[in-house]
Amino acid sequence: MTFFALLTKEMRLRMRQERTVWVLIIYVLLLGLLGWFYLSRSTSNGSSISYDWNAIGTTLYQLLTLIQIVLTIFITPAFTSGAVNTEKELKTYDMLLCSQISSFSLVAGKLIAGLSNVLLLIIATIPLFSLVFFFGGFTPLHILQDLAVFVITAAMIASFALLCSTLFAKRSVSTAIAYMAVLLWLIVPFIYVYFVLVPMVRDQQIDQQYILNVLVWNPLVILSLNGGLFSYLSGNYIFAGIQIVPWIAYVGFSAVATLLFFLLSLCFVKPYLLSRIRARFIAYRKHRRKR
Amino acid sequence: MLSTEPATTDISSPLINIQHVSKRYRSVQALKDFSLEIPRGTTYGLIGPNGAGKTTLMRILAALIIPSSGQVWFENNEVSWTPTVIQRKVGYMPDFFGVYPDLTCAEYLQFYAGIHGISRHKQTGIINDLLELVDLSAKRDELVEALSRGMKQRLCLARALVHDPEVLILDEPASGLDPRARVELRELVRTLQNIGKTIIISSHILFELAEMCTHVAILQDGQIVAAGDVEGIIQQVEGKRQLDIHILQQERLDDAIALLNNNPTISRVTFDEKKGILADFIGDEQALHHVLIDLISHDIPVVSFAPRTGGRRLEEVFIQITEGSDQQ
Repeated sequence: MTFFALLTKEMRLRMRQERTVWVLIIYVLLLGLLGWFYLSRSTSNGSSISYDWNAIGTTLYQLLTLIQIVLTIFITPAFTSGAVNTEKELKTYDMLLCSQISSFSLVAGKLIAGLSNVLLLIIATIPLFSLVFFFGGFTPLHILQDLAVFVITAAMIASFALLCSTLFAKRSVSTAIAYMAVLLWLIVPFIYVYFVLVPMVRDQQIDQQYILNVLVWNPLVILSLNGGLFSYLSGNYIFAGIQIVPWIAYVGFSAVATLLFFLLSLCFVKPYLLSRIRARFIAYRKHRRKR
Repeated sequence: MLSTEPATTDISSPLINIQHVSKRYRSVQALKDFSLEIPRGTTYGLIGPNGAGKTTLMRILAALIIPSSGQVWFENNEVSWTPTVIQRKVGYMPDFFGVYPDLTCAEYLQFYAGIHGISRHKQTGIINDLLELVDLSAKRDELVEALSRGMKQRLCLARALVHDPEVLILDEPASGLDPRARVELRELVRTLQNIGKTIIISSHILFELAEMCTHVAILQDGQIVAAGDVEGIIQQVEGKRQLDIHILQQERLDDAIALLNNNPTISRVTFDEKKGILADFIGDEQALHHVLIDLISHDIPVVSFAPRTGGRRLEEVFIQITEGSDQQ
């Protein structure tokens, strides 16, 4: 009940903002324009019979998925990094705390409202992706795998940004920290691989498998592997001797991280949680001593 | 629906019992060994200069913060340990309240009804009742953004009442309101008083507090300086009441002053061109009646005869008490 009340309010507020509509329009336009630009470049010389439409379709799809994931990564924090601290800035936070809403409903309501915006963007681009079907070159399974990667990436980043908004009082600070952390998450493994692991592989000190193990928690790498773009990296991710398909490993890691960020948000969304647990414990001990 | 029947439970037992509460924010001691009992069905005013600890106390009572030491009991529930129980029974309106500007008044109340766990089929009735109570029925479908400050304040009060709480905590509810909105708010508080709500209210406008409150507590530097029913505190501090007397014929002024000086219940008589005769009176209502009879029986043309109103007296008492504390 409390969860749906919060979700309804969040959706009303978000959908009444002009920004939501503009983000949606610009997002679809940008993706469409880049796709169109690629198509026009690929088909600018020669007759239509000489083209390998399968190859064009596959590359176009890979291009669109990579652009989509980059946009998702950079748009998602904006939807949840101010979810809790905006309530503080609006002076409505105390009134939320004075209600019967549980920490779970509060965090879940905010997260799902933020995520629904991202999902709306992903859904809005489905017609664009469906155009690629005309060219062929990829299977529906590919699309489902990539969709899973999009959704779990959005969920993880949204829950991390939400955690930031519970930790920092100012929206500007939580947004900056969320973006900085996402950037580091994307870039640091590549730097580490490029400067440390690649020379070691070259010197045959370590196996190439290490590189995959390091890069497996990166959506750009996973989508590229799914599309067969990385010939350098192949095979499965190995965890405790078990071979796991990279995209499943990525979804698994991201799901664990999402859960962790969600649980931490539950701890920090309402103040004095630990003090209250301690007070309850003391009261319980007193009660037991009396008996 | 909002219950309109007065509370029927035992009114002699205190509803809220604050025991030796202290609260420290890093280097600032907001409350120091603060104890107070708030009886059921009273309107309790918290008076104090800025930084006296009023808001801290109210936030502790609303289970928003926990004290550094001491306990607050709401009937049989300790506030810090059972915040969910307290939040069901308490409606809190902070001094800086916020609103969601893009919601309509009805949607705003619907949201708070929802997060208080009120089922959907009951919400419409409650929202209509509350909007009527705060006189905002006509603004039901207007955006909160479009309301005046006074209207927003009333909407916020309706929000605090959405779950029909036993206790209402109003932190500076009249701040920033124009005189008309203040009067409307005062009337609203009186209505809530009449339907049996226990109200804890803080304000800088002591005149208004004296008119609304049955009890007051004066705070300074996080400590309680005086507490009890309004008249009791004034009597306790002043030990006397001041009478304002106006007479029609100025030539009878000396006679009137002489008569008052001879009355054993009058300790001091002064005259002011604007204020008229001011007399310090010690005694009960019967003795007060005799003072008036004495004047009238000596053909003194009394135009008005009244003990000074609680508001002004409360202001004087507040200044007297807090000055005393400052000197200490």
